[in-house]
Amino acid sequence: MSQLTLALRDISKSFGGVEVLHKVNLDALGGEVLALLGENGAGKSTLVKILAGDYVPDGGEVIVDDVSAPSLNPRTARKLGIRMIHQEFQDAGALTVAENISLGRWPTTGGIVSWRNLKRRAVDVLTQLGVDIDPGALVSSLRVGERQVVEIARALADDAKLLILDEPTAALSQQEVDRLFEWVRRLRDRGVCVVYITHRLDEVFELADRVQVLRNGNVALTAPTSDVTRRQLVEAMVGRDIGEVSRPVGAGAGAHGEPMITIDNLHVDNQVAGLSLTVRKGEVVCLYGKLGSGTTQVAEVCFGIRKPTGGTLDIAGTAGFPSAPTAAIRRGVGYLPPDRKREGAFMSRSVVENLSVASWGKLAVGGLFITSGMEKTAYARWSSKLGIKSADPANQQIAQLSGGNQQKVMLARWLERSSNPLVLVEPTRGVDVGARQEIYSAIRALAAEGHAVLVVTSDYEEAVQLSDRVVVMQRGQQVAELDGNDVTAQNLTIAAGG
Amino acid sequence: MTVQLDTPIDPVEDRKPTRSRRRIPETAVLAAVLLALAIFFSTQSQFYLTPNNLLNILVSASVIGIIAAPGTLLLVAGQFDLSVGSGAAFIGVVMAWGTAQWGIPTGVVLAIVAGLLIGLVNGVAVTVLGINALITTLAMLAILRGLGQVLAGGQTLLLPGFNDLGNARPFFNVPIPVLVFAAVVIITALVMKFTVFGRSMYAIGANPIAARLAGIRTKTAIFGGFLLSGAAVVIGGLILVSQLGAASPNAASGLELSVVTAVILGGASLAGGRGTIVGTLLGVLILGTLNNGLTLMNINSFWQDVARGVLLLAAVGFDQLRLRLTGDK
Repeated sequence: MSQLTLALRDISKSFGGVEVLHKVNLDALGGEVLALLGENGAGKSTLVKILAGDYVPDGGEVIVDDVSAPSLNPRTARKLGIRMIHQEFQDAGALTVAENISLGRWPTTGGIVSWRNLKRRAVDVLTQLGVDIDPGALVSSLRVGERQVVEIARALADDAKLLILDEPTAALSQQEVDRLFEWVRRLRDRGVCVVYITHRLDEVFELADRVQVLRNGNVALTAPTSDVTRRQLVEAMVGRDIGEVSRPVGAGAGAHGEPMITIDNLHVDNQVAGLSLTVRKGEVVCLYGKLGSGTTQVAEVCFGIRKPTGGTLDIAGTAGFPSAPTAAIRRGVGYLPPDRKREGAFMSRSVVENLSVASWGKLAVGGLFITSGMEKTAYARWSSKLGIKSADPANQQIAQLSGGNQQKVMLARWLERSSNPLVLVEPTRGVDVGARQEIYSAIRALAAEGHAVLVVTSDYEEAVQLSDRVVVMQRGQQVAELDGNDVTAQNLTIAAGG
Repeated sequence: MTVQLDTPIDPVEDRKPTRSRRRIPETAVLAAVLLALAIFFSTQSQFYLTPNNLLNILVSASVIGIIAAPGTLLLVAGQFDLSVGSGAAFIGVVMAWGTAQWGIPTGVVLAIVAGLLIGLVNGVAVTVLGINALITTLAMLAILRGLGQVLAGGQTLLLPGFNDLGNARPFFNVPIPVLVFAAVVIITALVMKFTVFGRSMYAIGANPIAARLAGIRTKTAIFGGFLLSGAAVVIGGLILVSQLGAASPNAASGLELSVVTAVILGGASLAGGRGTIVGTLLGVLILGTLNNGLTLMNINSFWQDVARGVLLLAAVGFDQLRLRLTGDK
């Protein structure tokens, strides 16, 4: 099959006066995996969207096979064989695997869809990928990893020459990641060019032939993977000399307070099997495990979102599982959900409302009447302490804040309500590096003031930087408990199953 | 350190400031439309700009307005009540029927009970049984229209001696319906802006999952919204039956359409989370002005239905356009 060479030269792109890309070059060559690395907001997604023809650059050139292509749009990009696989799947869950693979290009004989050819094409592609998925299965019945493969198979059936994968491993188990890598390598060996967006350094070294780092819309580094070190990549991403992730100052010092969360032998369906842990006032305990290991279910049980099937729970000296979020909140639990946009923030409402929503009953006169003045007072109590930056908190929609600031508002929501213990699930997801450190300091400070904090995370660097103690889960089982100097990235990844 | 913390790089975030700039004049746009309509109709008919006619507009808009107030509260939480039209007719029939049997006070009590029952059934179906509000209240629309017919035996029931509510002018020559309209609008506006209940409705509409996780009793709040809607239907139904002096089971047909049109025209989003009473008030007045003006111009009332439908489509279309432009959910 013919290979595709695609080059971007001096690409610039601005949105509303903010320059997102500044004279960026990128070379995509057939038969190569190019890792595109960068923090949130570094310009990765804008760059690949230009590659896929979704955005037209303000300046610069797109060169396809040595010929300038001034009008790359989604149609022409498709014709060239450029395919993007988004983080959010764009598949049709109600249709079968085979139908999805041929979506929009049904094989027809005499204008009538040929189901036999449709199935044959699916079987062909799936065999090429070495995947064992029933072409007749409904896509909605597949696991996340399998759905991803179907998307890849679709691109393959389409004769894709340039495949863009946007953080494809975010929702995959380790086993699925390994398999995905295998398929990506196979595609590469067939001459496909793969542009692989990620922020996980391990994946870069495992998979990529070349790596390009973006920082604030500029190319910070381009090199063959074999020529760079982990440290160089991090420095290129962050733009400063960063030490190895370090343990928080005073870790383990607060371990003598009274217990605020005591979980004993917790079972949740077949997702959690026998978890026990205690979080005391003054300490940050991380519950670390990969996606699907059961950690989020534990958090959900603590907040009354999910019903347990066995075990006991004690919150601040009162035994019993909360029956609903309202019950958990009454018992003092504050909960930061993992998906801020879906479960946490009221994007179209003001910053102050987002902050005070859980405390309305407390702030309001007689529990009924509330003014935005009361909400502003609540905001003022936490904005300087947590470093929340908002130009006009009473009128500005929270959607206009950066991810880090939004997350601080979510945290302040429970502080305003004097919640203790706090259950924080993936507290720095979708937050850039600088703000991440600020949130870590804020959480450590809260613990020092007597909060009991349970952090559920799938990011081992987060566990290392934040925790006094770490409980590790793997496939629903509690597999390790680490503290002190034993909490290292290496120990954690090994305990969690690689 | 070169990492910028607060620079919105995402293009979607970037577009957002323009939205808040655009949002402020929304009611101003509606007011301008209202003014333009008024000027147009005053050039078309010498009767339009008389105090009596303006009062007429308010009187005929008052029932729509009274019901549109809790309608706004519901839509802000992402809910609808389409049963209000047949509900108002049913209330009228209950009133007339009850009065014929036991006298006016009992008739009023029965009407109130019936209205709250409507709200209760809608509320239970939506919050406890989890049936979509559109379907629930659409079913209720049919049920109440049918029940009204059954109760009235398919006839119009006379209701003598109950004219004051719809016609008396106790205060500066302003009819009671207009006064009630004003009171309902003011109270609802205060509820939406200054009570935990009102705020909760906005939060529920903006993000129901987040609302539940923030400890808001979402079902209770929505239930309350439907009860209020039922209460407004009682008031509106009683005013209607009092104005006419008779109760027809076919009365107020299409009222739900006017209410929804006014609320959406007023800037409430079908997606929930936004909308104001001031906007709804302007929507109601635009609708009333349009009906009145077209009548004065001797335009067939069938065309008024067409105009109302076009207005609803335009209002929803505008809402969709706004969603697309702002990337809001």
